[in-house]
Amino acid sequence: MHIAFLINSGYGMGGTIRTTYNLASKLAEQHDVEVVSVFRYRDRPFFDPGPGVRLRSLVDMRRHSPHYAGDDPQHALHARVFPDCDGRHPQYSALTDRRIGEYLAATEADVVIGTRPGLNAHIARQTRRGPARLGQEHLTLATHSARMKLMLRDTYPRLDAVTTVTEADARDYRRILRLPGVRVEALPNSVPAPQVGPADSSGKWVVAAGRLAPAKRYDVLIRAFAGVVAERPDWGLRIYGNGRERDGLRALIDELGLYNHVFLMGPAHPIEAEWAKGAIGAVTSSLESFGMTIVEAMRCGLPVVATDCPHGPGEIIRDGSDGLLVPTGDVPAVTGALLRLMNDDALRQRMGRTALAASARFDPAHVAARYEDLLTQLVNRRGATVHRARAALLSGAYAAKDALCARRIALQGGQA
Amino acid sequence: MTTRATGTPPAAAYGGEAAGAAPAAQVRPPVDWPPHSPKPKSLRPQADCTADTAGGITIDVRVSEGQAAASGMARAVEGGAALLLRRRGGGEGPEDTVRLPLGPAGTEGVMRAVLPSIMTLPEGRWDAFLAVAEAEPQRLRSGLNDLRSLVDRVPRQGRTWLGVRIPYATKYGNLTVRSWLRWPHAEAGQLHVEDGLMRLRGVLFGARLDSGARIEARPRDGGPAVCSPVAPEVRAPGRPGGRTAWKTGAEPEAATGFTAELQLAALGPGHRVWDLWLRPDGDAGPVRIARILDDIPDKRLIFSYPPQRVTDAGGERTVRPYYTLDNDLSLRVCLSDA
Repeated sequence: MHIAFLINSGYGMGGTIRTTYNLASKLAEQHDVEVVSVFRYRDRPFFDPGPGVRLRSLVDMRRHSPHYAGDDPQHALHARVFPDCDGRHPQYSALTDRRIGEYLAATEADVVIGTRPGLNAHIARQTRRGPARLGQEHLTLATHSARMKLMLRDTYPRLDAVTTVTEADARDYRRILRLPGVRVEALPNSVPAPQVGPADSSGKWVVAAGRLAPAKRYDVLIRAFAGVVAERPDWGLRIYGNGRERDGLRALIDELGLYNHVFLMGPAHPIEAEWAKGAIGAVTSSLESFGMTIVEAMRCGLPVVATDCPHGPGEIIRDGSDGLLVPTGDVPAVTGALLRLMNDDALRQRMGRTALAASARFDPAHVAARYEDLLTQLVNRRGATVHRARAALLSGAYAAKDALCARRIALQGGQA
Repeated sequence: MTTRATGTPPAAAYGGEAAGAAPAAQVRPPVDWPPHSPKPKSLRPQADCTADTAGGITIDVRVSEGQAAASGMARAVEGGAALLLRRRGGGEGPEDTVRLPLGPAGTEGVMRAVLPSIMTLPEGRWDAFLAVAEAEPQRLRSGLNDLRSLVDRVPRQGRTWLGVRIPYATKYGNLTVRSWLRWPHAEAGQLHVEDGLMRLRGVLFGARLDSGARIEARPRDGGPAVCSPVAPEVRAPGRPGGRTAWKTGAEPEAATGFTAELQLAALGPGHRVWDLWLRPDGDAGPVRIARILDDIPDKRLIFSYPPQRVTDAGGERTVRPYYTLDNDLSLRVCLSDA
């Protein structure tokens, strides 16, 4: 199979890029895989795409490059195919509309995979007849704006499949969007086995990692740790990552007098060596569309204490078996769960071993095999169903139009 | 190849606390300049470091097939490759270069060098290179550093020196080894600042505390020190996250816990930076207080303490403990109206 991923940028350092390369490099062991990056800002990708994965770009934004396209007059015009409800819209232009369109009209791929709503819309609208069309949702339907949901409703019927990273989000897609003839499947992000040996759980560090962003609620974790220190002053907390919350979190640590116990470590790459120094992982987010760091910590043999926020943690952690789930935003509950693991070495070690074994289901080999099944089915049924799919497109479009008034209420649940 | 550092590094590279307010006396280390004629990054070989509990480091140089051709690795196996450590800011002399032989690591495409714990490596930043035959040594990229055994390092007893090495990735992603070589050594532990007082707990290695032991805050730009008595602790204080408490006891080489308190108002407004030293007894030489027994190569931004406001006849000022670029403990005085 020839598989093409369409991505905003394959050269940066975001989570979508990393998870796309994990999947692409695994699929490339059996298939012809290319990653098509709309933009190129750097000479070399931050993450290695992996052996056998071809990386190419459509719009070169490197000023020193002979193919620099940033001064193309078309690039000054607003994008029309790329939907304006996608947050990346300001970066896109008439030029990207055209270049992406030309690529999709000519692609030799058997299946084209989009990695964000705006690009999925491109794939739905511009892919030539033939290739199977798959749109990935890396966030969640619930957090999209009402306008975005209407856009998805209008365009996604022209896809063959939509993948989400959790079952909960797949249920939302089926229930709220009701895409006729479109397969909706939950396929988790993959995390490769770490290159360092697992943690031996004998240390006394709680480790957390991620952008220091409001939704990560590190303030909850730090406040919870104040309760921990009162009982177990021999334990410490390391928080890896950078972000705009840093100064506020620093002030909170000082205010609570935790500067001997809680440390803002800054970014670390690769992060696995840092998980391996810990004994417990912690995630206290208010939202986790998947929960990549939970899986990373588990793959290093750490039991994770996580808030049961929408949507990821509850589908990764089996509460009481390979980690602990606590109510979102509940500081005393986080304190209690951390202390429970600190005060019971046998429990912590048992959960760590279980986490190590259970998290193998997120290995790129497993996730890629599930993708391969789905892609094979999509490609095989493509010829037989092409007409039906087009019919579905028409009816879908009318249905969407009719439904707009009636369904607006249902669709307006999200954040604007 | 990498050009050796000359001149002053860009200040932005070390933009630490209170940018712009840094006293002129603060020494910045020579910078790791980016390679001038960069080979594509992925073509440069990469090294993974594993630290052991004794202070040794195993360095695995990974070379993929394409890299092997580019770096002459195929020749290296026959021709004798070496891992080269060059002290930053040093000369070409033997005291500033360490050559470690690279041998097969048992995995294809991986060559291994060992920096043994018993080898003394003078203090400084040591840039790592791959040297193959006669070719110009290539700067190594930093890969995965497994430093878990350093997290709460307990120095081996019975030594006459303490060597600490922490491998890290420079901001350009290159491998450098930070080295300290000290004896005796005063390791800083928990530090509290409140009510105009700094209270420090730590552990002294390689010297005994007697009744005249004291902590000294010395102005970096010269002048009389501010002293305060130091109390030994029967049990060496553990640190949060520590697996084990430091061994203490009656043996002369055993570690000794200590607690020291310093009135911050005693640090007058005339000096901006005060370095902290421990004087174990009346006669012995002073020992610089530092924090080096863990896995963190650069403490400045990670170990942060709230500023303490001090008001007296000398005016209103804030005093704040901080770790220097060498992870030594100092205090910074800032005049509030300045």
